[in-house]
Amino acid sequence: MAQPAAETEFTLDTAAELAADESGAVIRGRSPWYLAWRRLRRNYVAFACLALFVLIVVVCALAPVYARHVAHTGPNNTHVLDQITVNGQRIDVVSKGGVLNGKLVASTPVGPEWFAAGGRYVLGADTLGRDIAVRLLYGGRTSLIVGIVSSLICVVVAGILALLAGFYGGWLDFVITRFFDLFYAFPVILLGIALGAALAINGVHWGPIKLNSGNILIPTLVISYVLIPYVGRPLRGQVLSLRQKEFVEAAIAQGANPLRIMFGELLPNVASSILVFFTLIIANNIVLEAALSFLGAGVQPPTASWGTLISDGQTLIVTRPWFAIMPGLAIVLTVLALNVFGDGLRDALDPRAKVKIEH
Amino acid sequence: MTRRQRWTWLLSVGALIAGFALLAAACGSKSSSNANNNTTSSASSGGGTAQNKPFANFRLAYDTGIDFLDPGLSYTVEGWAIMWNTYLPLLGYKHVNGPDGATLVPYLAKDLPKVSSDGKTYTFTLRKGLKYSDGTPVKATDFRATIERDYKLDSPGVGFFGNIVGATQFSKTKKGHLTGITANDKTGAITIKLTQAQGDFQNILATEFSALVPAATPAKDQSTSPIPSTGPYMIQSYKPNRQAIVVRNPQWKSNKGTGITDVPDGNPDRMTIDILGDDGVALTRTLRGQDDYDFHQPPPDRLNTLQSKYSNQTKVYTPANTYYFFMNTRLKPFSDLRVRQAVNYAINRQALVRIYGGLANPTENILPPTYPSYKKHALYPYNLSKAKQLVQQSGMKGTSVTVWNHDRGSDPKATAYLTDVLNSIGFKAKEKIINSSVYWTTVGNQATKAQIGFADWFQDYPHPLDWFDVLLNGTRITQTHNNNYSNFDNKAINAKIASLKKQPKLSSQVNSQWAALDQQVMSQAAWAPFINRQFVDTFNSDIDLSCYINHVLYQFDFATICHK
Repeated sequence: MAQPAAETEFTLDTAAELAADESGAVIRGRSPWYLAWRRLRRNYVAFACLALFVLIVVVCALAPVYARHVAHTGPNNTHVLDQITVNGQRIDVVSKGGVLNGKLVASTPVGPEWFAAGGRYVLGADTLGRDIAVRLLYGGRTSLIVGIVSSLICVVVAGILALLAGFYGGWLDFVITRFFDLFYAFPVILLGIALGAALAINGVHWGPIKLNSGNILIPTLVISYVLIPYVGRPLRGQVLSLRQKEFVEAAIAQGANPLRIMFGELLPNVASSILVFFTLIIANNIVLEAALSFLGAGVQPPTASWGTLISDGQTLIVTRPWFAIMPGLAIVLTVLALNVFGDGLRDALDPRAKVKIEH
Repeated sequence: MTRRQRWTWLLSVGALIAGFALLAAACGSKSSSNANNNTTSSASSGGGTAQNKPFANFRLAYDTGIDFLDPGLSYTVEGWAIMWNTYLPLLGYKHVNGPDGATLVPYLAKDLPKVSSDGKTYTFTLRKGLKYSDGTPVKATDFRATIERDYKLDSPGVGFFGNIVGATQFSKTKKGHLTGITANDKTGAITIKLTQAQGDFQNILATEFSALVPAATPAKDQSTSPIPSTGPYMIQSYKPNRQAIVVRNPQWKSNKGTGITDVPDGNPDRMTIDILGDDGVALTRTLRGQDDYDFHQPPPDRLNTLQSKYSNQTKVYTPANTYYFFMNTRLKPFSDLRVRQAVNYAINRQALVRIYGGLANPTENILPPTYPSYKKHALYPYNLSKAKQLVQQSGMKGTSVTVWNHDRGSDPKATAYLTDVLNSIGFKAKEKIINSSVYWTTVGNQATKAQIGFADWFQDYPHPLDWFDVLLNGTRITQTHNNNYSNFDNKAINAKIASLKKQPKLSSQVNSQWAALDQQVMSQAAWAPFINRQFVDTFNSDIDLSCYINHVLYQFDFATICHK
């Protein structure tokens, strides 16, 4: 096998590079990020899922536009006594029900009208006459915001704790690791319910920090808090391993201060893992938010989230099953898209994946 | 991702889609129903009495509304429905259908009391030989201890006993004894002295707050360590939000032998009360035979199916009840009369009827229509623009408002509607929904500072005092376990209640005064009443509804039901 030119970096990235290497051609040096990008863009399934996720985000971001110009109602506006025109006929948004001539008569909201009601109630109404499509889009905004922001908080805090524990070691590592262990001892969902339920009733009043019970920052913080050890612990392992490498020893020998080493040397080396964790944990957090909201410990009514919508739809599951299935489907698609994309990203960034390609 | 991994993903997605399609098909097939079936749900009729048809186990799908299973603390329909057959007071009511159910009869007392000519002294004699379920003898002094325990517990029922001589002093010190109650364990004589005559006092002695418990019962919540009982049943165990088990009281035969004739033995040997959170699940369990009775109200969208397939398993009834929104008059913005009036103008009561599936009638009155004192008034026709104008005039526009409710049945939807209404008239409203088992104690605690929220009331006894004195008398406002959620305290109205309280009987003249008081209270917009609700009891097909008794106060009498 011919050796590459001295100034080139041989990456064994693709068959083309191998061929180029064998032919003795000069290969330009490329950053790991560029190489990861090159691998990622060839993973069409991951890219399709990224596109799907972006589409979901854009559609949910446009919820106010849809609400104002198509549905002509807000997410929490009730229309219990309203009527709509469907195919030229006036019908109740929520039918009367009750006891009529001695018989029990059901009270049901309109089902999916698609486009028969001029853009209103495309996916039907709930028992308060609220437009399900509008609430689905607004719910998506809430779920995505909670999912993304909680993931961001989680990876930032977990990353800092991992860097501190891995770099300093000793008693600091001991304390941080025990903190992780403590949280590991509780099932995530139970801890989330306990914290979420307590804070959902009373809100947060810690000194100058005051969050009312309905604030979506509460579920966001609860979710990020309970998942910190699940991100922090593997990252700490990586930092511990990197701490023994020569480049860290060299930086110490050159008199670099700890902050410079942690954020200038170690962080870039775990950045790819953080990025993968971030992507995968968004999906996880969306599901956790839905679970907590379904159980009443997450997003509080009347704010819509996909979890609260499933909970609302549960009461109509027999006659209007789509009300619960729609937000469920939205969660499935979003989580699926994020997980597949996250897997693709990991394959592109993880050094072990590179070895697989070499095989 | 390798090719194999991609195929795995694709197959997973395919499996998910197939799963959803199957689920949708399954649910869709259940939704088809026929509203025009000939079968009819029946309302409870008068005259039914208990039949003796024992069976092993009655399984109830209960809701989450039990607050306590301690007679000194419980103040919910759910709690009292269970305790009615376990903890007996000196007086009680007949276990029969219809208006006759409101007839007072002696339970642990030998006879109805002797009342002095000035209406201030009540004398009872306790039956001889009574025992609690643990075999301890029932003593006359237990009655005094029971009322004293209510005070020590800060019971929501203490307001009922404020007229007993020495009650004011005892409520402050909680030491010594209530001087107005004397009891002799040897003779069984119990004498109660009142500071002034009180028309509803015998009814008060028939409430669960007066049900005798052993004198040594600790003055703290005993729900999970059930107190020995005197009735045909005893609570064997209670796990909050999970299950309560009620079994026969081994001492009941001996107690009944003392001459108690108006309390039936009961048919089930055991009642297994499973607490379920979801109305739909409870209904399905009952219709499938997993439970015998569904305490929950069926989801409104499933009434067609109930009518078409299970009409002979349902009973529709209208108990005396009023559903209302309380508005805390001590807190902004509801301290302003114009704001309270605005809320009354802004809520569309027909919309709220529909939210409850049509099983309700709109109301603006405090009293329900079943009362002779009821006189319909219409002070607040739906007028959103007038409501907005009043809020503007009050200067409270933009105030933050928290709307409280529990998480049970259709009630949270009423709050969602109210929140939307409050936002539409200029407030910044948000909801606060909490578990139903702690809701009443939470909003009844002044420390909570609940501004506005959902409330309902079912009569403890058929007398207007049970509404105005318990819920709207400013002199009965308490720090905890408060029933006057609006903290409504109007001197003129308090005085009127005190004056009408002295009336020994509800004559037509007295009834018309109560009706006028109803209007006077609503002119001050103490509440925003919205409906009188109808209810549906659902049973599985093994239950013989010829035994069904729906009591005027306690609703469905679990103990008298029988199997086919």
